[in-house]
Amino acid sequence: MRAGGFHTSYRSDMALFDSPLARRAVWLLFAALACAPLFATSYWLDVLNRICIAVIAAMGLNILTGYTGQISLGNAAFLAVGGYATAAMTNRFEWPFPVVIPLSGLVAALVGMLFGIPSLRLKGLYLAMATLAAHFIVAFASTHWESVTGGVNGIAVPSAHLFGVELGDDRRLFWLFLPLTALLLLFARNLFRTRVGKAFVAIRDQDLSAGVMGVDVFRMKLLSFAVSSFFVGVAGSLLAYQARLISPEYYPISLAIDSLGMIIVGGLGSVLGSVLGAIFVTLLPELLRLGTSALSGSFPGMTELFASIKMGTFGLVLILFLIYEPQGLAASWRRLHAWWRLYPFSS
Amino acid sequence: MDNETKRFVPAVLLLLCTLGFAAQAADEIKVGGIFDLTGVTSDVGKSYASGVRDGVAWTNGSGGINGKQIKLIEVDYGYKIPEAVAAYKRMVGDDKVVLINGWGTGDTEGLKEFVNKDKVPYISASFSGHLTNPAKTPYNFFVAPSYSDQLRAWLSWVKADAKGKPGNPKVAFMYGDNAYGKSPMEAGRQFCKENGLDLVDEAVLPSPFPDATSQLLNLKAKGAEYAYINVTTTGVSTVLKDAKKLGLTIKFGSNPYGFSEALPAVAKEAAEGVTGVMPDVPFGEDVPGMKRLTDFHAKHHPADTHDALYVRGWTYVLVWTEALKRADKAGPITGESVRAAFETLVNFDLGGLTSNVTYTATDHRPATKTPIYQIKGGKLVKVAEYDMPRKPEWLGQ
Repeated sequence: MRAGGFHTSYRSDMALFDSPLARRAVWLLFAALACAPLFATSYWLDVLNRICIAVIAAMGLNILTGYTGQISLGNAAFLAVGGYATAAMTNRFEWPFPVVIPLSGLVAALVGMLFGIPSLRLKGLYLAMATLAAHFIVAFASTHWESVTGGVNGIAVPSAHLFGVELGDDRRLFWLFLPLTALLLLFARNLFRTRVGKAFVAIRDQDLSAGVMGVDVFRMKLLSFAVSSFFVGVAGSLLAYQARLISPEYYPISLAIDSLGMIIVGGLGSVLGSVLGAIFVTLLPELLRLGTSALSGSFPGMTELFASIKMGTFGLVLILFLIYEPQGLAASWRRLHAWWRLYPFSS
Repeated sequence: MDNETKRFVPAVLLLLCTLGFAAQAADEIKVGGIFDLTGVTSDVGKSYASGVRDGVAWTNGSGGINGKQIKLIEVDYGYKIPEAVAAYKRMVGDDKVVLINGWGTGDTEGLKEFVNKDKVPYISASFSGHLTNPAKTPYNFFVAPSYSDQLRAWLSWVKADAKGKPGNPKVAFMYGDNAYGKSPMEAGRQFCKENGLDLVDEAVLPSPFPDATSQLLNLKAKGAEYAYINVTTTGVSTVLKDAKKLGLTIKFGSNPYGFSEALPAVAKEAAEGVTGVMPDVPFGEDVPGMKRLTDFHAKHHPADTHDALYVRGWTYVLVWTEALKRADKAGPITGESVRAAFETLVNFDLGGLTSNVTYTATDHRPATKTPIYQIKGGKLVKVAEYDMPRKPEWLGQ
């Protein structure tokens, strides 16, 4: 019996999956998810789609905050930019989604770079405030630039289409969202095996020494903002396609907090962490809702309490994670994984 | 297969087994309820929701839908459109509800595409005129004159009130920065233009707002004599109190979600003389349909206080249960059959709780009569009633 993993070449050390089983398990999971639309109800497909969107958005934020160390509260704003870009392109030009989604990401990337400029001088809390300003500027624009955004009434988004095939419901959309999510995750995973990705990490760990080592710190920070906002913009585009009607209400500041919560719960600077965190934070209110509606028969007040229970639980979970698992779910997974691999010598 | 994989397979099987969940059979009629119990309109949303809840309990206690019980599946969406969309998908996709009793204008108008596609009758507490044209919104219904007709009626009262005074009456609109607040404004502007009323100012109120002083000073500067406040009770109360503080003499009016017994209760003497549109009678009013409400109230929660919003919740249930009964008699209950049943309601009598309602396949404007009430000595007194004809050019406006 084998216990533990032993890498005998750099190639195997750098591999995407550290064992054949991991690769097989991921493929199996992917196949199982791809079959989900065949039997899942439309509500659970809605949840799955929202998880995909959350995963992409959290991955985007993790690139910026977890890997490059630049804190951002602008996630909801970049989601909005991606969403409104999608609405504008689909309404005006009726472009198909393979054009619209990447372009929405690019628009968000440009806006992200713009708001990333202060990061040259600002760090930590100050950068958080600057990105918060980005949030409010975008929120103001989305409420008042009525010719593009439709103001508070929102703007309708036609369903995603390609060659006359319409992805009008969650069932069909999932077959677009799932591979796209997988592709973007693969991109992120690979990004941190390249020079650029390693430069991001160097900036996070110590920006001065990164500069001394020859990393163009400002350029890399801007690039990180661009890549991160691209991810978030794509998520925003998918959100618009799924919601079919977007209004400023879709992008509250609490959404940015949720994204930060996802990467803290999941694990900063980890692709797996972004995925686990996004799943956890998206599923938490759904499971709470199932719980409260099951109880509402015997306790009629439960429906009314749900909103406060949701907020309270989210806060509690965040605090508990910060205290007991500051590295997030990804660390829990690593421990579980180590236990599994070292069995029977694990403790 | 290596060793690791061998250990992996049983673990996966175990996981799958625990994930399986049992399906439940049911021969009840499921109805969705999307309410605001905690959001910015919860000041009026709670009362309405309890009316719907009690109406359903009363219907179930008195025979249900031809013997079948109604199961109300409730969600509090906190007046957030994304929450309403998620709740809608869950109700239609998972719970398979036959109709939904909804709430706000923004979410109802946002959901209309989904509703049309899924063919789910959506009876919402939003009286938005945009929901009255079956050519565009075949599955949307409500129980009252539309917001637009209500504003037209109030403007008619203004005209009557200002009769004999020199010059056109100067009117201002104050409305919330959302779909509900803005819904009747275009109709109001049009009506002012056509009927010799000068619209001197429009003030947008953010939601929620802590004070309205700057907006009111603007109104004063523009010389407004009348103002229609299109927000819910808490907001109306803020405006009235600030106006009193500033010593303004503007005559205020409000909509059915800003004006009820709750208004004099929260705004106290600042509410004196304020007029309002009241499609439903106050709770306890001496009309034939009120007895079942007061009986239910006395039997189940005699200590609670109720208002016209609670009555409105009941009228909604009375209308859609009638449609369900008719659909059930005609055959299986589906979205289409319930819609068709709605469209057979002609002058359907609600015992005076609200005007009789009529829906046809080409016109979903339920009622035309709009009563205007005024607060006199802390009490609601009916002062006028205006009939807004079903003009074809007003359909869907």
